[in-house]
Amino acid sequence: MSSVKFRAPSIGLIALLAGAVAVPMTAAAGAAEAGSYPTPLPAETIPSVRSLPATYPNTWAFLNFSSDRIELRNVGGDGREIEGDLQARDSSMLLISSTRPELYVADTVWSRFTRGVRTDYITVYDTKTLAPIGEIVLPTKRGLITAMEGMFAFTDHERMALVFNFTPASSVTIVDLVKRKVLGEVEIPGCSLVYPTVPRGFSTLCASGTLLTVLLGADGKVTGRSESQAFNVIDTDPLFTWSTQLGDVRYFPTMLGHVQPIESQGDTVTVLPQWSLVSAEEQAAHWRPSGWQPIAGDGADSLYVLMQADAREGSYKDPGTEVWVFDAKAKSRTRRLRLARPGSSIALTHSAEPLLLVQGGERLDVYDSQTGSLLRSLNMTGFRTRMTIQPVPGE
Amino acid sequence: MASLDRFAERVLRAFAGRTSRRSVFTLLGSALVGAATVPLLPVARGEDIEPNSADPKSGLQPPQTSGNPQDPGDQTRCDYWRYCAIDGSLCTCYGGTVSSCPPGTEMSPITWIGTCFNPADKRNYIISYNDCCGGVLWGRCNCQRNEGDRPVVRPSSNNEVTWCFGTQSQSYTCSTAVILGVATETK
Repeated sequence: MSSVKFRAPSIGLIALLAGAVAVPMTAAAGAAEAGSYPTPLPAETIPSVRSLPATYPNTWAFLNFSSDRIELRNVGGDGREIEGDLQARDSSMLLISSTRPELYVADTVWSRFTRGVRTDYITVYDTKTLAPIGEIVLPTKRGLITAMEGMFAFTDHERMALVFNFTPASSVTIVDLVKRKVLGEVEIPGCSLVYPTVPRGFSTLCASGTLLTVLLGADGKVTGRSESQAFNVIDTDPLFTWSTQLGDVRYFPTMLGHVQPIESQGDTVTVLPQWSLVSAEEQAAHWRPSGWQPIAGDGADSLYVLMQADAREGSYKDPGTEVWVFDAKAKSRTRRLRLARPGSSIALTHSAEPLLLVQGGERLDVYDSQTGSLLRSLNMTGFRTRMTIQPVPGE
Repeated sequence: MASLDRFAERVLRAFAGRTSRRSVFTLLGSALVGAATVPLLPVARGEDIEPNSADPKSGLQPPQTSGNPQDPGDQTRCDYWRYCAIDGSLCTCYGGTVSSCPPGTEMSPITWIGTCFNPADKRNYIISYNDCCGGVLWGRCNCQRNEGDRPVVRPSSNNEVTWCFGTQSQSYTCSTAVILGVATETK
């Protein structure tokens, strides 16, 4: 810095020049234009930063690009599409609070971009300004996995967050989001991901095919553990690790076309019998759930599952061509929506008339969830990775 | 490392329990974990790679071949036979090779494995998809193939995990496809 010297008059001159740059025009042309527009455009304020509404419209959704950013988009209107962006670096995960005006992004960075000191942390953002208003530094253990459900979850009515760790030993960091501090760590050997099945605690899927449920005290310490019988047939018909919740039941699709309901009643988690999403005929045609984020729910009775015909070993993450809608209570299909183009991730907005969001390649298609008609298509040029879609919570 | 050893032991035990041929494990070493997969003919899909051309005036990347007819195919393409269970960026596009990391990166000793069919000699090979870590973050030559891949609930056969463990940096760069040996028996 010692070699660079600024003098006050120079700074003043730069500011003056920056504010006064204009393209000169001839007097005749200027007069003609002014005749049409007698009032000049008003001077505008500098600096100016746009802010967002305190409560987002429920036709907005966050798109996690699983790489460089988490983008807030208006998927319900044909005007402004991008409302804002949150920084993301590696396996970044977002939680959207519905009880505080805050957003939480769990992320990992290195001090020299791809090398140097690793830091894992949660950034607390203000929903209205998207300004970072707080930070919680985490143990450097976060699972660095393509962003997906189960890596970061609320529990205890959003007072706590759960961060899935993989080192490759599995554990969960328990975070107090209100006091913005780490409470502790719970080891879950042989199990992966966290699902908020109980009021304070979580369930996790284990490599042995079981579901382990862990209950926590207010201090984040374990107060109880229970493990189900094995039900997840990982070799031949594993559960997708994506789910959707309708009432007290969380539904996971399976690779071969079943759905696995898991019911929560207080601290009791029950693995209910699976039922099939496909008829014998559809099974013979190899119709199966597929895609990256393959299931969504409308919050009432309907399950939306992304489906693929002619599925085979190795195709379960490939895009699907249809979305099948099921009445979860009747365990029967109610609609079959053919997509304008194959999709990898699906979600439903929490609006009164839910919009079906389908990411396929560089497009986010927005459909009427009842009729299946395509309403609009948003461009995401250059998108190459897998997307997690998180519609903003309903009011 | 104690927890890592426990993990490796658990996965290896599970693997051994499912597989009658244990001889292959002498190749793996204690740090490598994985599961045999059902071999399929290589099929290109999930590819995000610009076309290749041998024409030096095309401006396109030339094919990279082994020169050995027993190891056929373009190692910068997703349909190369060793990439049957890969998900990531191909190191052959970053200054590495199919079996070595680019200069300036580190190879993770811990990884996931697959079993791929070599169309030339008709053998199934155990392929180790070692990730290279700490280098330039670019994202080119992305290739996603999931034969034998299982959800992350079984991490050793999941390719969504960044397998940069035991390296100074855990920042992902690209993936290799190293021959560990012949799979004399498959499921």
